[in-house]
Amino acid sequence: MKLPIAGMLRDVVESLFKRPMTEKYPFEKHPAPERLRGELMWNPEKCTGCCLCSKDCPSNAIELITIDKKAKRFVMEYHADRCTYCAQCVQNCRFDCLNMSNTQWELAALSRKPFTVYYGKDEDVQIILDKQAGAKTPQPKPVTT
Amino acid sequence: MDILQPIIALFFFPAGLFVLGNGLAYMWVDRKLVAQYQNRIGPRWFQPLADVMKLLSKEEIIPENVDPRLFIGLPLLALACALTAALYAPLLGFQPVLSFEGDLIVTVYLLSVVTMSLALAGSNTADRFSLIGAVRTLTQLFSYEAPFLLALLGPAIVAGSWQISTINAFAGNHWIVLTQPIGFVIALIGLMGKLELPPFDAPEAETEIVKGALTEYSGRGLALFQLAKSVELVVGLTLIAAFYFGGIANPITFFLKTLILLLVLAGLQSLFARFRIEQTARWWRYASLLLLVQWVIIAVLGGKTL
Amino acid sequence: MTTLEKFIVPIGPQHPALKEPGHFEFTVDGETVTAATVRLGYVHRGIEKATENRNWTQNLYLLERICGICSHTHALCYSLGVEALAEVTAPPRAQAIRSLVAELERVHSHLLWLGVAAHEAGFDTLFMYSWRDRETIMDVLEGLTGNRVNYSANVLGGVKFDVDDKQTDTIRRGIDYLEERTHHYLSVVTTDNTFVQRTRGVGTLPREQAEDIGVIGPMARASGIARDVRVDAPYAAYAQFPVNVIVETAGDLEARFVVRLKELFESYRLIREILEKMPTGDLTVRMPRKVKEGETISRVEAPRGEAFYFIKSNGGEKPERVKVRTPSLCNFTSVIATAPGHQLADMPMILAGIDPCFSCNDRMVVLNGESLMTWEQLRQYGIEYYK
Repeated sequence: MKLPIAGMLRDVVESLFKRPMTEKYPFEKHPAPERLRGELMWNPEKCTGCCLCSKDCPSNAIELITIDKKAKRFVMEYHADRCTYCAQCVQNCRFDCLNMSNTQWELAALSRKPFTVYYGKDEDVQIILDKQAGAKTPQPKPVTT
Repeated sequence: MDILQPIIALFFFPAGLFVLGNGLAYMWVDRKLVAQYQNRIGPRWFQPLADVMKLLSKEEIIPENVDPRLFIGLPLLALACALTAALYAPLLGFQPVLSFEGDLIVTVYLLSVVTMSLALAGSNTADRFSLIGAVRTLTQLFSYEAPFLLALLGPAIVAGSWQISTINAFAGNHWIVLTQPIGFVIALIGLMGKLELPPFDAPEAETEIVKGALTEYSGRGLALFQLAKSVELVVGLTLIAAFYFGGIANPITFFLKTLILLLVLAGLQSLFARFRIEQTARWWRYASLLLLVQWVIIAVLGGKTL
Repeated sequence: MTTLEKFIVPIGPQHPALKEPGHFEFTVDGETVTAATVRLGYVHRGIEKATENRNWTQNLYLLERICGICSHTHALCYSLGVEALAEVTAPPRAQAIRSLVAELERVHSHLLWLGVAAHEAGFDTLFMYSWRDRETIMDVLEGLTGNRVNYSANVLGGVKFDVDDKQTDTIRRGIDYLEERTHHYLSVVTTDNTFVQRTRGVGTLPREQAEDIGVIGPMARASGIARDVRVDAPYAAYAQFPVNVIVETAGDLEARFVVRLKELFESYRLIREILEKMPTGDLTVRMPRKVKEGETISRVEAPRGEAFYFIKSNGGEKPERVKVRTPSLCNFTSVIATAPGHQLADMPMILAGIDPCFSCNDRMVVLNGESLMTWEQLRQYGIEYYK
């Protein structure tokens, strides 16, 4: 029986007895799908330093810093705020070093700092951080007697 | 001591602050019900109160080319008339604060003044959206106010009086909605048209004329107009519930009956697409014909009411 | 003796009816519209210039972000053009997956449009329900591609991901649910009197006028012009999975609703067919970093009509020129043509009826005169203009 008016009557009346469809985020969180393109993750084990990932990045979000080319020690500086989460770098890498996480997708922060991520072996990253810290603090003037 | 009683009644209870709070609460219930009909969560309980508080704290921008006295005075007029109309309605089932023979006409007239001050506020400015909104408000006023009053006269005729408290007491023994269903429907639709609820919200159609007559208002003026509309909602629901739904005798029946009416109102709001202004203006013809039919039925049935 | 000034109602650049900025001036007499003008250009971002500084792969993602709801069609059009220049053909499975994502995007776009058009009519309930159902298709797309919009499915030479059995199941279930709901919406739109009296006979564009103005996409198909790029010049896998063109002859707003809703059914049928007969094979083919010199044209049927790309290469790693013509640009003049004679309350509906996508559009800069401007001169001209 089609009424000439109030076509949505059935929906409206049924909704009176149903729970709302709204997901009450952040109190209820549905798990993200497997293929979600979240934050970029880099595994330095197999990286050869070919830089194909940073060459094709549309927004220059990846920078590969070479510590020692022969020993294949690299540090990746990843700018999560510049990244467009397109996964072209993942596609380009021939050694499966990169993947986009499907758990790290709540990336909001209150300052710019958490958005610059350094990936690499611990000692390599420490070298970079030291260099940065050294560049920032001015050298103390030598005391002259 | 004698002077204290009216002052409390005027400012705090049952008119004044109480009816303002009641209006805000009913606005929240309306929004929550519409959200439930649309399968989503509505706002939290303090949303209308928070809106009013925020608006009262914002700067009021008075545009050029307006008469500043009218600009500031009209919201006050609207709220004052709405609150005065609340003095005559049987809120919470208690006797109205003031009551005299013929106060039904005065109450409905005061509610019309609210709509007219809205229209005047819209035509006060040079903004094109407000002008179109004001014209539409006036068109709808002619279409809906008159049937609303006439539909409320049906129970008045049967009760034999034009005093709200007498009609209320009479309706306590008779469920008039059963013998005058047409009048009930017309009264309900008239109330929706007065309050500019969807689908009769052409005067303040958001997607066409921003906010209609209230486009230039911000801050205090907008808050007062919104409060006036919410008080109008409460008074309108009280009158319809008192006349048609078997009278209001105590607070429990007051809340029960007005909330049931609000449920129906929210359902009607969510079912239809918005009518264009010339489509809403056709209503007065149908309403007048239906009311004539209704009155003939009353005359025929004579004193034989349920 | 002063003449009466014309009463002009401006809709935009900021207006609750428009989701994106655009300026429409309607000259109104009472409630009847007597004339209309259009002004665009508020969202010009200089994308065509920006493509000249990025290499071929980076441009894919830049062009994908011209629009949120036709993003895949932009990427697809660009990939097809560049692959034609490089004389490379993507493998059949990749073409089929490209068509699959394009049809899923069409479903998403039409459901979104239904909600927006209902909101312009004041029918908020239909808006909420159709957007609730749009969540289903967005979840399907998120599971398949990794993101709800800007799917990033294409690479030059193929696609990034595969469709396996689990995905096929999810897609089928989503499409079944949506098909049921679309039947319901079609009946609401055509039988609910309050809605029909807002759409029947409003904004009528007769066939000759539509051909004169040159409207494309579902607007043209609602006026009786049977034009669809998927049929006229099949691309990707559409030669293998042919499309039935949906045509209505009434030309009014209701016909546009019906055309778009019926196109949804056609998309559901296509999606099921592609899933059933998906060809096997590789996903990508090797693509050189430097693309051969030449010029090419590629056309794709976006949800709004025909999207047209002109790509010119000079043999390097970066394109020399990419020119984009998006479908909404052709449909705006129909607003000026159909608006006079209607009520002001019909204006938002007519605007929504062409399915405007302002951010797709703003790409043309017209230089007065014959001079050739260098980049610095153009920047200086812009600075002077806005002073």
